[in-house]
Amino acid sequence: MSEPLALPVAIATVGVALVSGGYVIAVGDRWLAAAVAGRPSSLRRVLAAPIAGGALAMVTSRTTTERPDGPGWALAPALLAALAALALAMLPLAPGVAPADPDTGFVVFSAAIAFVMIAVFLHGWSSNATLPLHGAYRYGAQALSFQIPFLLAMLATALPAESLSLVRIVEAQASLWNVVRQPLGLPLYLVAGLAVTFWGPLNLPDGHDLAGGTSAEDAGIARLLWSGARTAMLVAVAAMGAAAFLGGYHGPVLPGPIWVIAKTLLLLALIVAAGHLFARIRIERFVLVAWVALIPLALLNVFISGAILL
Amino acid sequence: MIGPLLVDAAFVVFALLAIVTGYRVFRTDSMVRAAFYLLASFAAVGGIMVLLGAEFLGMVLILMMAGEMLVMAIVMVMYMMNPAGLNPMVMVHQNRVAAIAGLVAFLALSAVGLAGEFPDQPVPDPASATEELGRELLGNSMLVFQTAGITLLATMIGAIAIAGSRGRYGSADEGSVEPGLQPDEEVA
Amino acid sequence: MTTEIVLIVAAALFGIGVYGALSQQSFVMLMMGIELMINGALLALVVLWARAAGGNPEGQMLGVVFMTVMAVEMALGFALITGVYRVRRADITEKLRRLKG
Repeated sequence: MSEPLALPVAIATVGVALVSGGYVIAVGDRWLAAAVAGRPSSLRRVLAAPIAGGALAMVTSRTTTERPDGPGWALAPALLAALAALALAMLPLAPGVAPADPDTGFVVFSAAIAFVMIAVFLHGWSSNATLPLHGAYRYGAQALSFQIPFLLAMLATALPAESLSLVRIVEAQASLWNVVRQPLGLPLYLVAGLAVTFWGPLNLPDGHDLAGGTSAEDAGIARLLWSGARTAMLVAVAAMGAAAFLGGYHGPVLPGPIWVIAKTLLLLALIVAAGHLFARIRIERFVLVAWVALIPLALLNVFISGAILL
Repeated sequence: MIGPLLVDAAFVVFALLAIVTGYRVFRTDSMVRAAFYLLASFAAVGGIMVLLGAEFLGMVLILMMAGEMLVMAIVMVMYMMNPAGLNPMVMVHQNRVAAIAGLVAFLALSAVGLAGEFPDQPVPDPASATEELGRELLGNSMLVFQTAGITLLATMIGAIAIAGSRGRYGSADEGSVEPGLQPDEEVA
Repeated sequence: MTTEIVLIVAAALFGIGVYGALSQQSFVMLMMGIELMINGALLALVVLWARAAGGNPEGQMLGVVFMTVMAVEMALGFALITGVYRVRRADITEKLRRLKG
């Protein structure tokens, strides 16, 4: 049985991880956007830009729409941030140490990912405007389709561990990382993860073609909170992917938490790069790919892992 | 780590949340909020189930209901005439009969719960409940599990057949409608 | 958190569900009443499994069957609501007054 951290330490760890991870994503995003556009900017400007943008967002005046759903609109970014914190709270940091370790940790993570749909729908619905509602509906279709391969890909990692607890899943990779044992797993997880966290090429709910989508009517600090919650969710998904597929804290020389941070940053780099190197995908075709191609691949992954285990 | 007093306090909070949000489902004007009140009620019941020791069942209930209530909210927006609750509206029929029936159901079931003598056999090892469920699913109750799977498959096929846009007369995207689309006479 | 109190909570949920299923005119709200009833029944099942049946795994299996029933009922219910609306333009129960034929 693992030893969960004391409550204040756990809350502080998760909070610091989400905020610093969000800052790293914002910096990387801005630097890559400038580099891809052919206008490389100085390091100092790239590091200061997210802080300046956040400060500007805090002083911009807030606007509102006609007859919005006030509590729902305020609840949406808070719910998304709480789900990211819940998902990240089960990340194992060192052998037997995690902020929280329920016996069915994988199901808790799945429930957190499922509730992201509720948060995005609330965000799009509450402002009582058409373009945000379009974004909310798009996300409903996208998330319902891609959740299944996302969770199946991660479920296959529970097979070698013979447990649903994240701590056991990472412990079972002491001999061989899951990315080698289950080669289909990590690509499926990353592709479906892009859809579930609506980033980059699959940013349908908040996309430019909807003039900001669910965030179209946000202004000022509401905008900052929503984008902060989105990056927090991305950090949580990348960290759990690193734990389940890349071996978490296992590594030769450095202590466990350093390896966790390094592997999370690797996956974050891949995801942020995908955000700028791929064009936005047409969702009608890609949902078809999810149902027809990704789910059979995920099931094949589970069958192969089970067969190897038997 | 979690004391019995904290468990009891959490149970009281979850129980009140479940009942109050369950009641608010039918009293709110905004239909989307009704769907999310039902989700809150289900999440509270899932929390009580986790407190009782059925950890897997509770979390799977919460997981399932997130997706279901999203679909319910979308269906609300499709079919209800007041999804945002901008106008007050009451759409009930036989209200008094229904309230009496609900009250009678509650009293009768509570009487059974209070008067019945249930044996006292608590769960021997709560930590292994998930593992026992797994062994049961793939062991003794394999036939039930497979039947449930086939039922879900039949449901999926049936739902697509009934509600799909591609009907007997062509695809709805291309403007085909079924013949005989005449509304019933209007209700006063 | 005795067995009796949890059973009373489950009975309350069931009673609210009965009220909703009998009093609502709209099909979708009626289905929400039915969902609340199954919710109450599931809670009663789990408390009896935990307290009176000694953790018999078949109790959890019955809970899984309940959840399957919930999913099936919602899916087919919404499909039928869509079908009825397309043929009869009816979204509340009062509009379905005649059998066709």
